[in-house]
Amino acid sequence: MQEELFTSGRHIPNIDPSLQIWHWPISLYLFLGGLSAGILFFAALFYLMGKDNEYPTAVKVASIIPPIALSLGLLALVYDLTHKLYTWQLYTTFRIESPMSWGAWVLLIVTPLSFLWTFSYYRDVYPKLEEKLQVFNRFKFLNTVEKFVIENRKYMAYALIPLTLVLGVYTGILLSAFNARPLWNNAILGPLFLTSGLSTGAAAIILLSKKAAEKHLFGKIDLGLIIIELALIVHMIMGYYAGPEVQVEAMQLLVGGEFTVMFFGFVVILGLIIPAILESIEIIGYKTPVFLPALLVLIGGLVFRFVMVEAGQLTRYLY
Amino acid sequence: MVIDTLKCVGCSDCVVACQTENNVPIGYCRDWITETVDGVYPSLELELKSERCNHCDNAPCVRCCPTGASHIVDGGIVLVTADECIGCGACIESCPYDARYQHPDGYVDKCTFCHHRLEKGQLPACVSVCPTKCMYFGDLDDPNSEVSQLLKNRKHKTLAPEAGTKPHVFYLI
Repeated sequence: MQEELFTSGRHIPNIDPSLQIWHWPISLYLFLGGLSAGILFFAALFYLMGKDNEYPTAVKVASIIPPIALSLGLLALVYDLTHKLYTWQLYTTFRIESPMSWGAWVLLIVTPLSFLWTFSYYRDVYPKLEEKLQVFNRFKFLNTVEKFVIENRKYMAYALIPLTLVLGVYTGILLSAFNARPLWNNAILGPLFLTSGLSTGAAAIILLSKKAAEKHLFGKIDLGLIIIELALIVHMIMGYYAGPEVQVEAMQLLVGGEFTVMFFGFVVILGLIIPAILESIEIIGYKTPVFLPALLVLIGGLVFRFVMVEAGQLTRYLY
Repeated sequence: MVIDTLKCVGCSDCVVACQTENNVPIGYCRDWITETVDGVYPSLELELKSERCNHCDNAPCVRCCPTGASHIVDGGIVLVTADECIGCGACIESCPYDARYQHPDGYVDKCTFCHHRLEKGQLPACVSVCPTKCMYFGDLDDPNSEVSQLLKNRKHKTLAPEAGTKPHVFYLI
């Protein structure tokens, strides 16, 4: 009988028996980053199409989410750093080969833009709140700022479209750039995370929308994105099957292993297939609770990121 | 660095020497011993070897580092500047040898080939202390160096070459 015995004298905290370097804040950030990218992308796109009054949730109302989500996401990211006082070192250089460097710089531009975008619609969307707070009366300079951002909305939208796409793709590339983690080392992760981010963005717009026509349109958009996402997941799994031994082993975590229930149960079935069926029924013309597929898509997106971050760190080349 | 697996007895002297020389925090190590038994009884083969950062030519840790804290110095040694490291962990995730760890002080730490000793013309602590002299350190670019000659004349391997990192620690087999 073939014998194989292996002993390693290494037992370093958070490294052995498996990596525990990235924790829940990273998964949460990847979700919030994708969600913000999705919402801002639709906001900029529909604004440029001149549909801001036709689809007010997409352009104006839902844009309250990205500034909050990005701030929370950034806090989560910094919270997971172990040498926090040196965070500023990120902005002393730009390293073209490092996805994290790309992400750090893109966030530095997108986050303030998201605040400005929301601010430009503040008086439009929340007139009652402004009546109460009287912020514009108290701080006169805000009128000038508002005038400036409203005048420059078009340029902000032009900037946001490529930037949010980079942000969405980067959340996936961040993982796929690590060839040492076979589960992550799959080039499809970039487009997959982008599609998932856009889909959660569309779902958030559906949840907040009060107009039937808007819900209907974003239901259709979301359905399309879910179908693309399912196709990309098939590609991802095919990629593992066709990959080297380490990737075939890594895939077994998702297919027939520890994460199968989470991945196929929560992400694929509850987070993609059921919402797709519900949205199709709605599109045909039957009445369905529209919030349900949207909520499922959001939960599925969150679980997906947790599964990928956790499972990926269990996979390695050597022992 | 060249390590002769036929000479290594797995005594862990290199591990202790490194921990002492580099003030490695308790519970951590920059190098470690692995033991592999392989074959069909009774013809079993035992391989002992000392492992550490491979100071790769195509180092993924250097590629992934967002601040440039991980860098390659002259001679091909991969080092981390603690003051530039933010502790994001990207390099740890990117290392196929899992040779890096987060120092309790926050920054990422690993084998330096005892760069501070090399500057003084000394050998790395692990090499200098090995009782069976199974480790060799030198310039791979110099065809006449001891390490180049060993690699020229002996069968050798690297760890996880399929990861594509072009590691610089060679094991004689």
